[in-house]
Formats: sequence, C-alpha cells, structure tokens
Amino acid sequence: MTSSTITREIPKPGINFQLYELGKFIRLSLTWLTIIFGAVWIASWLVGVLLPAAIEQFMQGDNAHFIGNVLRALTPIVSVMVFIPINAMFMVLCERRALALFTVRKGPNRVGPDGYLQTAADAVKLLFKEDITPHGADAIMFTLAPIIFFAPSIFGALPLLAAVTADHPLYSFVNLPTGIFYVLAMSSIPVVGLVMGSWASNNKYSLVGGLRSAAQAVSYEIPLVLSIITVCFMAGSLDVVQIARQQAGGLLNWNVFGGGALTHANLGSITSIVAALIMSLSCVILFCMYLIAACAEVNRIPFDLPEAESELVSGYNTEYSGIKFAIFFLAEFTNLFIVSTVATVMFLGCGAAPLPILDEVMVGTVTSLLAWAQNNLGANFGQLGWLINSLINPTTFVAALWVILKVYSLVVFAILVRGTLPRFRIDQLMDFGWKRLIPLSLILLIAITFLKELV
Amino acid sequence: MAIDTAGLTSDDLKTEEMVINMGPQHPATHGVLRLLLTLDGEYVTHVEPVIGHLHRAQEWQGQNRTWFQYQALIDRVDYLSGMFTSWALSRAAETIDECHVPERAEYMRVIVAEMNRITSHLLWLGTYLIDLGAMFGFPFYPFREREKLLDLFEAIAGQRMMFNYIRIGGVQREAPFGWFAKLKAFTEEFPDRIDEYEAIVTQNPIFLKRTKGVGILKKSVAMDYGVTGPCIRASGINMDLRRFKPYSVYPKLKFEVPVIEGDGDTWARYMCRIQEMRQSNEIIKQCLDQITGGWPEELAERRKSCNSCGKEDCANCGGDLKIMAKKQNAGLRVKAGEAFAAVESPRGTLGCYVISNGSDKAFRFKWRNPSFCNLSVLHELLVGHPIADIMAIFGSIDVILPDVDR
Repeated sequence: MTSSTITREIPKPGINFQLYELGKFIRLSLTWLTIIFGAVWIASWLVGVLLPAAIEQFMQGDNAHFIGNVLRALTPIVSVMVFIPINAMFMVLCERRALALFTVRKGPNRVGPDGYLQTAADAVKLLFKEDITPHGADAIMFTLAPIIFFAPSIFGALPLLAAVTADHPLYSFVNLPTGIFYVLAMSSIPVVGLVMGSWASNNKYSLVGGLRSAAQAVSYEIPLVLSIITVCFMAGSLDVVQIARQQAGGLLNWNVFGGGALTHANLGSITSIVAALIMSLSCVILFCMYLIAACAEVNRIPFDLPEAESELVSGYNTEYSGIKFAIFFLAEFTNLFIVSTVATVMFLGCGAAPLPILDEVMVGTVTSLLAWAQNNLGANFGQLGWLINSLINPTTFVAALWVILKVYSLVVFAILVRGTLPRFRIDQLMDFGWKRLIPLSLILLIAITFLKELV
Repeated sequence: MAIDTAGLTSDDLKTEEMVINMGPQHPATHGVLRLLLTLDGEYVTHVEPVIGHLHRAQEWQGQNRTWFQYQALIDRVDYLSGMFTSWALSRAAETIDECHVPERAEYMRVIVAEMNRITSHLLWLGTYLIDLGAMFGFPFYPFREREKLLDLFEAIAGQRMMFNYIRIGGVQREAPFGWFAKLKAFTEEFPDRIDEYEAIVTQNPIFLKRTKGVGILKKSVAMDYGVTGPCIRASGINMDLRRFKPYSVYPKLKFEVPVIEGDGDTWARYMCRIQEMRQSNEIIKQCLDQITGGWPEELAERRKSCNSCGKEDCANCGGDLKIMAKKQNAGLRVKAGEAFAAVESPRGTLGCYVISNGSDKAFRFKWRNPSFCNLSVLHELLVGHPIADIMAIFGSIDVILPDVDR
C-alpha cells in the first residue's frame, strides 16, 4: 500500500471572498446604471431639446414649431422605450450576481468584461430562437398575450415620470390629476395577458398556472390598492407630483414614517404626540404590507405560484419561446421596477433626500458647476454653454439620483427575499391574502384616517 | 336579476377531473419518474407512479459479469450513495466466502459510508428546498459542504460519485497522508454549518407551513409497505440496522438513532435527516480517534521498522492492520453458497441476496432497494393534497430513481 499526500487544496471561501465579490457587484451596478441613465438622458435630450431647437432654428414658419412640439411630446415615450430593455438586462444580471453573492458563488463572469454582457448575449440568443406556436394553440391569442402582459403596465407608469423627475418641464405634461389611480388601474391589466397566454397554450400546466395567477392577482390587488389609498388619504391628493412634493424636507416627512405626523405634532398636547407616534408606526406596517402585496402582484418568490418551476414547469410561459418569451421576461422585471418606483414615490419621499441639507448642498454644487461651465466654456465655444445648461436641470438631476438609489435598493431587497424564502401553497396564499392582509389594510385605512385628524 | 336555470340540467354544471402526466420529463421528479395524476381542480384524487424508465437490469448484469467487474458497476444503482451498494454486495460475498475483513478496513468502511450518508442528505436538503420553491438562495449552501466531502472522496477513491472503494474483502486503498487531518477539520466545523441551515430553514414560517401536517405517514401504513430509513424513523419507529442488526464496527461506536415521535409528516422526515447528519458526523469523529492502527502517518512511521514487509504475521502490516483481505484481480472468486446481507443506506435498508456457485461470476442476484419500497407508499400520502404538496411529499421521501428501477 502506497500513500501519497493530497495535492488538491480544498478552497475555503471566507469573508474576503465575499467582500471582493461585493466590490465587484457594486462596480458592475454603478457601471450599468451609468450606461442606462446616461442613455436615457441623452436620448431624451436629443428628442426633447436639441432636435426641436435645431428645427426651430433652421426651418421657418408654424410647421417648425408644431414639429418641435410633437418631438417634445414624444420625449417621455422615447425615454421609456430606451430605458426598458437596457434596464431589464441590467436587472437580470444584477439579480444573478446578487444571488451568487448571497450563496458564495461568482455568478456570470465570462461574457464581456467580468460577465457584464451576459444578459445582452442572452437577449440576442432569445431573439434568434425559433418562435414556436404549439399544436392546438390559439395562435392569435397566443401572440397577443405577451403584448397585453407587457404594454399596459409600462405605459400606465408614465405619470410616475413626472414625479421622479421633480416635475421637469419636458415630463410634466404626462402627469395626471388622478395619476396614481391611473397607474394602479393599468397595472391590473397584465393578468389578463397571463390568463390569455395560459389558456391559448393548450397545456394543462399552463392552464393551472394561469388560473392561479388570476386568483392571486384578484386577491392581492385589494391590499395593494388599499395601502395606496391610505397614502392618498394622508396626502389628500391622487396627483403623484403633489404627493412627492409633500414628502420633501427630511426623513420624518416621508409617508413611510407617517408623512410629517411627527414633525407637525403639537408638542403641548399629549394626544397629538401619541397619535403621531401610532400613526408613524401604522405607516411602517402599511409600507410592509404594500411590499408584500406588490411582491405577490409581480409574481416574485415567495408568491411565484403562477410560475412555480418545481410544480408547474414555469406555468403560464411553459410553451413560449424566442421573442415572445423574451417579452414575458422583460415585462416581469419591468413590473418589479415599476412597483418599486410606486413604493418610492408613495412612501419613500420620491426624489427627496433623507436630510434637507443634503438636497441643498447637492443642488447648489450642480448649479455652481453648471454656472462655471457656462461662464468659461460658453465664452469660448459659443453655443456649448447653452447646450450643457439645457442638458442638466440641477433639481431633476439630484431628485433622479435619489430615486435611482431608493428604487434599486428595493429591487435588491426583493432579490434578497428571493434568495431566502420557499414558496407558499395556493390555499395558504389565499388565506394570507383574505384573512390577514385585507382586514389589516382596512383597519389601517380607518386608523390612519382618524389619527391624521388627531395629530 | 336571477340567472335563468330552467334550461340547465345537472350535466351542464358538472366539472371534470383532469388527468395530467407529471414526468418523466419534469424538473421536480428527480429523474424519470412518471406520475399519472387525476386532479380535481388543484387537488389530487388519484395517483399512479409509473416506473421503469431507467431499468438497466442490474441483477442480470451481475449474473453476466465477473465479481470484479460487477463491483465497479454496482455504484451506479444508487448514484448518491455508492458506498452503501458496494458495502451490501461486499458483505454478502464475504458472508459466503467466510472471509474475515480486517478491523482497519471496517473502520475505513464506516468512515467513508458515513461521509457518503452526509453527502447524500446534503444533496437531498438542497434539492428539497428547490422542490418547495426556494429556487435560488438556500440550495447552494449544502453544496458548499458537499463539495468538501467530494474532494475527500476524490482523494481517497479517485472518483467523486462512482467510488468503487469498498471491495470484497476490505477497501481499495489506504487513505493518503493529510486526508484524516482534512476530514477531522471538516467534522469540527460541520455542526456549525448544520446550525446555519437550521437557522435559515427550521424556523422559517413558510417552510413550517409547507411541511407541518403535510403527507402524514402513519406507523401502521409505513410498516405495511415496508418503508425503511429516515421515513420510518420519522414516523416514530426505531428501525435502524446499525443498531437493530449491528454489523461492522457499529457496536463499538456511541451514537443515537434519531427517531422523531409525532405525526410522521414531511417536517419530521426533514428533522430526522438533519439529526442523522449530526450523528454521522459524531460517528466519523469517533472512528478517526478509534481506528485500528491509527492515522496513516502514524502507521507509516511504525512500518518503517519492518520496511512495509506486508507479511501476514507482521505486527505492523498483518492481521487487523491490513485494509484488504482478498486479492483484487480479474480472477476474484467467491466460494459456493448463498447469503443475504443488508446495510442501512441513507434511504433505508439496502439488501443484497446472492447465490454463488464458486465460479468467477455470481449465479443469482436480488437487490432489495429502499427507494422502491418507499416509493410504493406514495399514493397513500398524496391523495387529497394539492399539486404543490406533491413535490413537498415526494421530495421528503427522498427517492433515487435508478435505485427504484435498477
């Protein structure tokens, strides 16, 4: 019997590995976010500022003005169209890298520099795959389903654009007096697409998945809408810009901490103080409830019953392939982004900084930088100063930075939940929705309405 | 306005049951099991497991191959716990052959077998959480520890899955230097890792909701169907061959067989396996301390005096300090006779019945595979549960399909 030593060292992933990977994850996120929002910014600037200005400069007559206005009106649509595909690519990559981080792995790290282009390659692959319509499927419904799943929720989210850009002139016209109502109404349409797709697939697993998703959407829309309505009662408005503005001025003014109940409380009266405290506590519960209902609304783990890979083999999208599947995939991640944005606008103060002083400092810095650029560059290079100034609106810029930070924090939180929890069962899901969430949301609605008067 | 029901008969209002094929290509049937389900909405009214997609005639192959060849083949029956199938075959052949297995080899067998039990349960833990829908996060934690054990297997047997390490008459080879130290280090840190899993899973409210009171296996039903292993111990019956019918060096080791008193639900089966991993870890620790002849480094030191002579009467090389009692070559023969031997595999009682006619091939083989018997109880557990519970229950039985179909 001969004995030899073990030559292969057993790797020991420790805290250093995790920190190193965390650093890489942050670098990746910052790079991708710069790409996404840079692209959106430049595209909307081209369509909304530069092109109309150029047309009005070089063409004569009323037509020029009209074309310019049409282009300006198209800006929100263009920015959304640019934003959605790149953002979904980033979110998929971010999710895979974050899950790898939670589970001591590396995640995709081969395509492009350190795996940055993995999802781009996946998207190209999906576009070139064969588009299969299964035997016995209803072809028209089958094709229509991804579109119905995708389009309404995305164009329904347009009013939010006005809020997240701090009412920038180019975006302010998409704002509606009943903005949040419109967003919620449109976000409940996609479930029709799911049921259509699952029925048209002519597949039993898909059918079960589609029916599950219908039941789930109906039950969880109620607490979702009730929690948003409560916020609207607190703000006294359905206008998202209005609601966002009311939350300016520090952490305590955010709706998640009672929407200014603590700052407005009458310090002389004990009733007022107690009411303010209870109200801020209820608002935190309300926010958690919104997050849960939103998770169920966009079919994320632990509420991913319509997909349920281990039970229903991906449920409603079992039979989809190629670009139709890509659209489903895109819509899912975009929906996650939209519910996070709604949470940011309604609860987390939208573009407001946690401390008012931060806002002032940041806006001041950006303004002075712009002024410097205009004075120095503008004097030497003619129109360049004007171009730079039209490119960046300091208030919008700072607000957008905060919104990006808040929204993507919520997205990472959703990924963390996905990396932790198992899935509910359908009857448990219904129990949780109807017996816990809906009564709780009604109680909170009444309680907060009363408490608001007492503060 | 009331709905006009005048024209409707009871036939128009009837709902239909749906027959659905789950598998053989389904991500959660752990291979190629086909379940013919009859569903009433989401609830199962009838279930019929269709097996045999992976039938490879393992018994027939055994009768047409030499003992030496078949030893290498038999790891494939239960690919997650190859050590145990080899062990059952070796024990049966050794019983016929009246071959005394050296004690050092028995200790090595217990060590690698318990390691294999841990790897098997770890893989089960990860995949079971996938079955329950924790798709991306937790399942990778058990694989981290499993990887370490597989590296150790690779170092000692040259293979990570199909070991062919336990042979008729002993074990294949001595452990390499440093192997015992690495295993010792693993056993020290492993209980903390199990605590980690339990922190994530055992108290998780969704996990409890999905597993408590689901798939209740009563004692009497379990006994009727011949269920063995963690499944029957989770139903409150203390049936472990390592204690019930001791073999090898198990009588010399101190460990408790985990028996979960209670309903016998999927949660109990989960708990039983978690505790079994802790016990296996304890067994490995004791073996590392007690092993006859000590660690390979010490033994090599002792053998310097006799220059590793390898003679039977040598105090350092012969007797219980050997690791192999029979010569391993293509002419390996077993005396004529018949025997049944069973070991406690991670899935239950794994038995091997052999008739030998003294040639280099066996005359008859019959395997008693735990997965096959455990699977037969499935329809008792599934009927009346929703679709989602099929995976929770089926996963908790821990069936390996090649083990069912052979």
